[in-house]
Order: sequence, then C-alpha cells, then structure tokens
Amino acid sequence: MNAMQKNTITQSQKLMIFVLTMSLYGLATLFTELIPKFQVGLVEFSIEYFLFIPLTLGMLFDPLSAALGAATGELVFSEIMLGQFGGLGELEKFLTVTIGVYIAGRLVKDPKNRVMVGIAAITGTAAQLLMGTIVDIAKVQFAVEDFEAVAGLPESVFATEGFAFLNDLLFSGIFFCLLPTLYLVPKLYGKIEPLLGMAPRTAQSAVAGLNPKSVVLCLIGFLCAVTAEMAATAGMSLIDWEAEWAESGTAMAMGMVAAAAVAVIAILVIKKNAERKVA
Amino acid sequence: MEKLMNQLSENILDKFSMDYLRNQVLKNAYGNDDTVIAGLDPRILIAWYLFFGLVPWFVNDLSFLLGSFLLVMITTLLARVAGLVLFLFGLGVFSQTGYLFLVTLLFGGDASAVAPLLILTLKVATISLASVTVFSGLDPDKLSNGLMWYGCPERLSFSISYAYRMLPMLMEEFQNVLLSYRLRGNPPAHDTFSGKVRYLIYQVKIIMESFYPLMLNTAKRSRTTVEALELRGYRYAAVNKTVKKIRLSALKVTYNDLLFLAISVLWVALCLLCSTLF
Amino acid sequence: MNAVEMKGLTYTYPGASQPILKDITLEITKGDFLAVVGNNGCGKSTLCKVLNGLIPHFITGDFQGEARVEGLNTLENDVSALAQKVGYVYQDFENQIVRPTVLDDASYACLNYAFPDYLERGREALRQCGLEGRDNAYIWQLSGGQTHLLALAGAVCLRPDVLILDEPIAQLDPMHADRIYDVLRELNEKQGKTIIVIEHHTEYIADYCRHVLLMKDGRVQWLLPTREALQRVEELEECNIFPPQVTQAAHRLKKAGVLPQDVPLPTTVEEGKKTFSSLTFRPAESVKPAASVGENAISFRNISLSYRSVKGEPRMIFDGLNLDIRKGEKVALIGSNGAGKSTLMKLMVGLLKPQSGSICLFGEPVTQKKAEDFSRQISLVYQNPEEMFIKDSIAGDISYAMRVWGVKDWQERTDALLERFRLQDLRDRDGRLMSGGQMRRASLAIGVALEPKVLLLDEPTANLDIATRREIMGVLEDMKDIIQTAVIATHDMQLVCQWAERIIVLSGGNVVADGSRDEIFSRADLSKLVGIRPPEIFTMAQALNPQALCYTIEEFTRQFQEAAAWKS
Repeated sequence: MNAMQKNTITQSQKLMIFVLTMSLYGLATLFTELIPKFQVGLVEFSIEYFLFIPLTLGMLFDPLSAALGAATGELVFSEIMLGQFGGLGELEKFLTVTIGVYIAGRLVKDPKNRVMVGIAAITGTAAQLLMGTIVDIAKVQFAVEDFEAVAGLPESVFATEGFAFLNDLLFSGIFFCLLPTLYLVPKLYGKIEPLLGMAPRTAQSAVAGLNPKSVVLCLIGFLCAVTAEMAATAGMSLIDWEAEWAESGTAMAMGMVAAAAVAVIAILVIKKNAERKVA
Repeated sequence: MEKLMNQLSENILDKFSMDYLRNQVLKNAYGNDDTVIAGLDPRILIAWYLFFGLVPWFVNDLSFLLGSFLLVMITTLLARVAGLVLFLFGLGVFSQTGYLFLVTLLFGGDASAVAPLLILTLKVATISLASVTVFSGLDPDKLSNGLMWYGCPERLSFSISYAYRMLPMLMEEFQNVLLSYRLRGNPPAHDTFSGKVRYLIYQVKIIMESFYPLMLNTAKRSRTTVEALELRGYRYAAVNKTVKKIRLSALKVTYNDLLFLAISVLWVALCLLCSTLF
Repeated sequence: MNAVEMKGLTYTYPGASQPILKDITLEITKGDFLAVVGNNGCGKSTLCKVLNGLIPHFITGDFQGEARVEGLNTLENDVSALAQKVGYVYQDFENQIVRPTVLDDASYACLNYAFPDYLERGREALRQCGLEGRDNAYIWQLSGGQTHLLALAGAVCLRPDVLILDEPIAQLDPMHADRIYDVLRELNEKQGKTIIVIEHHTEYIADYCRHVLLMKDGRVQWLLPTREALQRVEELEECNIFPPQVTQAAHRLKKAGVLPQDVPLPTTVEEGKKTFSSLTFRPAESVKPAASVGENAISFRNISLSYRSVKGEPRMIFDGLNLDIRKGEKVALIGSNGAGKSTLMKLMVGLLKPQSGSICLFGEPVTQKKAEDFSRQISLVYQNPEEMFIKDSIAGDISYAMRVWGVKDWQERTDALLERFRLQDLRDRDGRLMSGGQMRRASLAIGVALEPKVLLLDEPTANLDIATRREIMGVLEDMKDIIQTAVIATHDMQLVCQWAERIIVLSGGNVVADGSRDEIFSRADLSKLVGIRPPEIFTMAQALNPQALCYTIEEFTRQFQEAAAWKS
C-alpha cells in the first residue's frame, strides 16, 4: 500500500480542491456583482476582487485545481446563475483568473514564508489585472468603428483603462488581495489540510516553482484569451454582414420573411394536428 | 458625497440582506421552471443564444440592433426573470458603456461620439438580455445537459448543477457567520461622516474575515461531497461514453422549439427588411 | 454466506502514529440489522469506510488484513464495484446530495453506473424510502427528515445488499426519527438488506436492531444479540453508552435488591411491564413550583412574520403570536422540526424583524434597534457550533466580544471561562478541529462571555453522544448563577424534563401549550398533535400506573418499590 502514500496529489483530492475553491469564490463573486460600485471623481472604487480566496487556496493546495475551480466558480455562480453571461468574452476572464491564480500558487514554495506569500499574491493579481487591461483596451478598439476618428475616444480609453489598472492594483490589489492573503495563509496553514485529508505543503513538495513549461502554458493561455476576445469583436471584418444584405437588397429580405412566415404557419398547423391526435 | 456614503454603508450589511439575495437567486434558478422558455429544448436555446449572443457584436445596423433588442426583451419577459437579475443587467450595461459615454464627453468628445456609443450600448444590452433569457430562463440541469451535448467538458456541467444545489447552503452558512459577528461585535458608531467611513471599513473587514471560518467549514463539506461522489460513480461516469448517451437521450426537440426558432427567424428577417427599406 | 467478513484487519490513517483499527476479525450475517456502538473516536466510522472501499482506495494509509463484503475482497475490487454492494449514508448527509431535484439525486448513482433504467430505479428507491410523489421537488424544499430519506434513497437505488448509516437520527425530532427507522426496518425485512447503523440512541437500538457490536479503542469487544447486549449495563456505561432508561432503572433496582438478581433486564417498555409488575407505586409529595410573577424579560405582542418563498405566496411563520417570558425562568421551547423555534429565537435577539407587532426586551422595544445593541443583554448559541467560531483559536473566540466591547479584565475573564468549561488545554486550538462535545462547550463559553441576562440555546444537545450530553447538562446546571433567564429550543425530552421549569409547545406558529412538565406530558393530545414524546422512563411509569409522573430514573426508582418496602 505504500505506493499510494506518495506526496503526489490524487485525482480525488484535486476534485476536492476544485469543489472547495469553486464554491467559495463563486459565492464571493456573486456578492461583488451586487455590491454597488461607487465613483469618486474618475476613480472607480469597485470592490472587484475576492481574488484572495483562490490565491490563498492556490498557495496552500494544488495551484491548478484551485485556479480552475475559481474560474469555473465565477463563471457558474456570477455569470450563468445571474444570467450575466457575456458570451465568448467570458473566456477571457476565465483564462486570466486561471493564469493569475496559477502563477501565484506556483510561486509559493513554503506557505509559512510571509514575504514569499506577499510577493506571490501581488504578482498573481497584477498578472490577472494586466491581462484584463490589455484585452479591455483591444476590445473597445475593435467594437467601436472608426475608433481613431472619434474625437477624444482613444485617449479616454487609454486613460481610463490605464488608470483602472493602477487603481485596481493599488486599491483592490492591496486591500482585497494582498492583505487578506497574508492574513489567511498562515492562519489556515496546517488547519485546513487535515480537513481535506491531505498533508500540508512544505518546501519539499513538488508543486511549487515556476518552470519554463508552466510559463509557456500561461502564455498560451493568455494568447487564447486575447484571441477569444478578438474573435468576439474583430469578427466584423470576417463576416461582413452589412455588405451582404445591402447588395442583395430588399428582395432577398422579403424572401426571408416569406420563408420564415411559411415555416411558422406550417409548424403551427403540424402542432395542432399532433395535439389533436394525442387527445 | 455624504449621502452617497450613507447609502453605501447601509447597503452592504443592513439593507442588503442575505435572505433577500438567496431568495432572488433561488427564484431565478428554480422559480420559473414553468415558463415557455423553460419548456424549450436547451440545445435549441443555446443555438439561439449563439446567434443573439454573437451576431450583434458584428452588426452596426441600427434597425437590426433595435429589432434584436426588442426580441430578446420579449423573451426575457417570457422567462420571468427575477427582479434582481434585471437590475444587475441595467447596472452592467451602464457600467460597460454608460460611464464611457460620460468620460468621452469629459475629454472633449461631441455628438459624433454619441452614435457609436448608442450602438455599443444596444449591442451590450442585446447580448446581455439574450444570455439572461437562456441562462436564467432554463433550469440549471437542462442547461448543463444542453452544454454537454455541445461537447462542453463534463466538469463544467457538473459544476453548474452542483452550484445550484450548494448555493442555498453556502449562503445560509455565510449568513450565520456574519450573524455571529453581528451578535458579538461592536461596530463603530455611524452618526458622523467619519463614523460612516469607519463603519464601512468595519463591514468590509468583517466580510473578509468571515471567509476564514467559511473556508474551513466548506472544506469539511467538500470532503464528504467528494467522497460521496466517488461512491456514487462520478469519476466512473466521467470516462464512460454510454453514461453521456443515456443522459442526453432525455433531450427532445418538440414543435414548440421549432416554432420558437421560426418566429425568431421571421422577426430577424423582418428587421433586415426594414433596414433595407429605410 | 456472511454479508461482511473481516480477518485481522489493522488500519492506520496516513500520518497517524497509532492504528485506528486494531486486528479486527468479524462476521456479520446476511439480513442482519446491526448497531455499532462505542466511544467517540473508537473507529466506528473508519470501520464502515473500510466496507465501502473508501479505505484504502480513496483515503490512503496503512492497511493490513482482509475485508470481504458479499464475497468481494475490498482490496481487489475498486470503489465503484463495491458501491453496488454497499450503500453509505453520511452523518452530514446533506453534503452527499449533489443534484438540485429529488428524483435526479435519487437516480444519480444509477445514471453514473450507466443503468439504462436509471429513472425507474430512482423512483423505486424513492418509493422504498417513503418519498414518492416528491420526484420533482427541489432539495431545499425538503424538511430535514426528508433530506435524510433522500440521501438514503440515493444509496438504495443501486440496490446494494448492505446499507450503512452513520448516526441517522442525530438531528431529527422523534416523529421523523421513527420514520427513518421504519423505512430501515422495511428494507431489512422486506428487501432482505443487511443494515448497519452507527447509533447511540439505545432506545432505538432496543426497538429495531437485532445485534449490537461494541467497539473500544479500535477493537471489537463483542457482537451480541440486542437484548443480551443491552444487559451489559456497566460495560456499556464504561464506553459512554447509556442503555435505555428502562434498562438502567431495572439495573439500579436490581443492585438495590428491589428486583431479584436472576431476572433479565428489560430493554423496552413492553418488557418493562413484566419486570416491574411486582412493584407498587407511591406518589411522591408533589412540590408545586411557585408560580413566577417576576417582571417580563421578553414579551411578544401580536407578532406576524412570513418568509419570502421562491414561488407563490410568502410562507407565514407567525400570525399574531403573543408570549411572555419572565425574569428568572428556565424555559424549554419544543415542537416538531419547522415549528418556528429557531425563528422565535432569532426574533428575540433582533436578527429578524417581524412584519408587525412588537417585541420588548426588559421593557425596551427590540424592533427599532440593531442586533448589535443587544449583545450585552441577550445571547444566542447556535445549533451548529462551527458557525460560532470566527477566530482561529478558542481563546480568541471567547474573548472576541469582551475585547470589542472594551471589557477591562477580559484576559482574566477569558481564563476563568476556559477553566470553567475545561478548555484550558485547548485554548489555542481552532474550534472546528475539536470533538463534538468540546465544540459545544466552547460555543457555550462564547455565549456567556458577556454575561448576558438572557441566554438562548438552540438545540444544545443535538449531535452529541449521551455522555457528552450529560456533560452539557451539567454545565447548564453549573451556570445557574450567571444566567438568570434561559430559553432552550430542543427535541431532547430528557433535557427538557431535567432542566426546564416551564415548557412552551409550538406548533404551526402558535403556542399550543404552555406550562410545567406535569401539565405538558400528561396531555395525550399534545403528543399526537406535535409529535413530542416524553422520555422513555415517563412512558414506563405511566404504563405501570397512570398516576405516576416520573421524569428521571432517580424519580422512578424512588417511587416504584416492592410493596413490602413501603410498609416498613
């Protein structure tokens, strides 16, 4: 039986971490959707992140499971449950959260080392925010036609997004990611692991450390996020809808209307008949 | 400013009652399972969503956008979505484009900036409402089956139904932990402005701190859950193709689904017709 | 063939220095209804997890020896093969339900194991567990008892030969508890399933189980037929298991020489009738409790409260409730699950506001103030102590309220409380990582830290084994000097009878009875109406003599004696 006592994490333990992070972070993001955002002048003090939850769990347990759990939790609880699902754009959030948490989790070798935990927490948050900012800027650029031509728009977008990044990092980042993580990690270390039937992470455990492979993985993930966003917005040029129907003109549209109307009537009739048969 | 702070500090723990929230989320998830939308086949609805969730991004034609917006508004009403969700929708649209609009004006933009932003707002609104219709209108289980049919990872569809199962319990637990703070705590007086700021900070701090007990309590739960999942064959099913087939065989396309699709197509065609006419 | 066979089984949890199961050799016959009893931490749950293969396939560790279930070796077969032989219901059963609706959850395992008739199997399981007709209900619409039955149905649907239940009735009122056991009996007798329960309610063991297995320090002490097992009063008490009250009373009477030495001890009321038939009853001089006329501590006037419901009309909990609780009273609040006991307590501390009516605490209206403003006057201890631990150590939790309220000598008082509740050695431990009894003591210490004038306890003895329960009752007795007024909401009638001076019975949001224990328990209509049940010893005494009102074993043994003894 000794073969089973290795330090590696079993599949089920990963599932446990996934379920735990998903539930908690999901619940937390549900609140962030509801807490009013308020602005003082230009600065938006949005309580954006309960990111400290997956950060903490990612540092204590398997980073990838915690990262995926957090991203899924946000997707399911706050996007799907509240009907705030933004389509392909959600992929971006999913991936940036996953990468941010994953990086932070991998950076920590020993959860008892507070300096390490602090650096990892702020790095993970910064990575997540930065990726989000880049994608955001690109998004507006593609969504608004003649982006450059609109007076004041490009500047305002760069200014607000850049400002939001710094503000989020310094405000949300420190108050809602760094400090709570520093408070929670040492408190939970050694207490939460036995509840899940695991051994606490030590400097010797295999999960820690950022190796080239994980960096490449993160980069690929980020590229996917950007591509997803671009696909959601830049698709305009690929499928040139307007041109298509402008040329074919009214006749084609009339045809579509007629066809659809016939379909509606046909289905209604068939449905009636079917119902009569059943009755 | 003071009024704002006042409103805010009251919002977080006092007016914003967990009970209300829990009720709204449950209502949204389970309270509308007898609507027209909830009776539709999830695959059809997801395909429908793919159109109304994506296409408006690519189109800048005003009449098409307006038409789509009207359609998704009607479907949202048909789905009898909870009030809170609609409120969030409004908030979301404003925070995505409304503020941008203000900022543009501030940076010296003029009326020329308004038209693109109006179109952007319509786009955002249409897409959001389409997602509200599908994700709030369908019950979670149907939704996860539909997603699975389209080849979404099994883990995701499990997460959706599990989240809906867990949410009431998690909220109750969170509520009780917060109540512990209320029963034993001594919040700063909040009659003056600085008192209100302190009260706000106190509340935020308590929400943060309450995640410490919550994490440990949830960890205890997760362990039982995952053990039970193991016994109930969750991992066995994840790699078994027949299970997926059996589960999906419950899905059925009815005339109602076709009718829903056909009406949507008709409506879109009418909008296109309008845009060519005017 | 035996349902379960174990040979020389020794198991150590990963990282533990001592094995939790030591050299267990055991045979359980097919079709048995077995109760596993033993002290906390004696390895009962671990033993059961060996049977379904979670140990060693899921929870690793050092496993020696052999275990067979229905002929399958648990080492050679994986969890999924074993799951179809052994069903398991956890103590925290609500966490094992993972689907949102009833039928869905009942058939979940069958679907996962790819049975094409999974829905039919799910329905059948629901029928067997008495949940038919609720197929499409959502989980949160079920009561606690129904949720437990659903967890059972989820295990039954795979048609396992062996069913294991860990403390199935810990949180249930007697009516729901009977229901669970009736279902189990039916599964046992009609379907021929082998049932194994971890149980410390010996009254239920006496009524339902065929055999009892006693475990002590990871070893099997013995496995005996129930009647024989419950006779071993001293041996059981040594392991903190208390035999049924009838058995205990007979045991004491035997020791005192009142009953002949050769009669077997009765285990149920029916048997007791025969055993005690030679005794005669002499009423004790009844001490009329002085009617309390003190001023009101809490008063409710015309309270109406309803909860928002997900669909349709709001659910009315209270409609015009009036109630006074006077200073210095010891009140027990009883009623079936969902009668509004917890809601009433939350109203008292101001956590819930009624839609109409007024609540006064020492003459001051509660409704206009926030819960925080009352925390020095009234205190509520939750049913689930884990939700009261908000700091990372017990000492921190106890001192939290005193610190934030600026109590000067908080350090001394924390130490005093830790000592009073015998928690000194655990002061730096996190509450959640302690045993059930320690958690409960800690939650009481937290509740009294601010020396409130009124203390509210929600189910203080739920989920506790009998020994810990006795301990908690001792603590309550102990605290008499600090707490003037106390209200306990509970299903535990032994606690009610020993402790309470006034009993309030809630049903459907109304006070249906209010009075002393004699007034409450002598009313037969009440037990039918609200499903409360007096302690077994009370029923025993009533069966012997309708005039007898005995609430404790002591009262029983005092009032029932040999006819000759009264004359002398």
